[in-house]
Amino acid sequence: MTRSIIKIKTTLLDHQIAQLSAIAIGLSLIESILPSPMPGVKPGIANIITLYALYRFSFKTAMWVSILRVFATSLILGQFLSPTFMLSLTGSILSLLTLYFGIKLPSKIFSSLSLSILSSFAHIAGQLILVRLWLIPHASIYYLIPIYSAAALLFGFINGWITYRLLKQHNSI
Amino acid sequence: MKLRSKFFLGDGLIILISLVFIIFAFKTYWHFETGSVVQVNFQGKTYGNFSLFQDKKISLVGKEGESMIEIKNGQARFKSAPCKNQYCVQQGWIGFTGQILICIPNEISIEILGKTKAYDSLNY
Repeated sequence: MTRSIIKIKTTLLDHQIAQLSAIAIGLSLIESILPSPMPGVKPGIANIITLYALYRFSFKTAMWVSILRVFATSLILGQFLSPTFMLSLTGSILSLLTLYFGIKLPSKIFSSLSLSILSSFAHIAGQLILVRLWLIPHASIYYLIPIYSAAALLFGFINGWITYRLLKQHNSI
Repeated sequence: MKLRSKFFLGDGLIILISLVFIIFAFKTYWHFETGSVVQVNFQGKTYGNFSLFQDKKISLVGKEGESMIEIKNGQARFKSAPCKNQYCVQQGWIGFTGQILICIPNEISIEILGKTKAYDSLNY
């Protein structure tokens, strides 16, 4: 019997995606053990990697990294297909959609800082919409909008700034 | 690499818009309005609306016995209740629109009303 060797041909893009996803998953896992003042208020440091991938490589890379991160992290933490996972996925999809249009903004005046803030707002907007429609179909969750948007601005700013420094270090901007 | 001064113009704009939005959101959603009227519901019917700007005690005799509602300093509360749990009494004073106290055994609820109806979890 001859031993069959299955070899998958990988492209450079695959390697980029794999490496970046690994870092993003790692960051997500670190973040998951950090205490949070209230559910949903998280720094979202894995988004640094998504933004980095977007600027350094392409939107396609960023999209893969973001979606893979959501799936892999939820599998590792045992949250796959749970509400947490659905929220995370919705947030990421809306966030990516924002990035898709955001990257088309003139890069002379809009840096990664802008995109980070916009995407974190999109992230929380997606989650709140899902919560409103599915988990808590009641208007009282509107009380949370101010807190979540304040957190989105703060963490979006910090993540955007870190991304900016990273990109500058690697001479990508 | 030098920072170009123009570089953060758009970022500043985004931050400014976000800040305005956040302040607006706080003003809109965290706006607690002090009520002016307390509506007393007794045995499924509205017993009456009473102004909060008065000192008044309302005594209602239901199936369980006598409940005493007290209005003072723009607030209302159950002063005493005949039931054994005393949940309504222990909730204390209410004064913002949309706040509500219910005494189920004696079929009494009191709700603070104002110019606008606030969100509450009971209609849901």
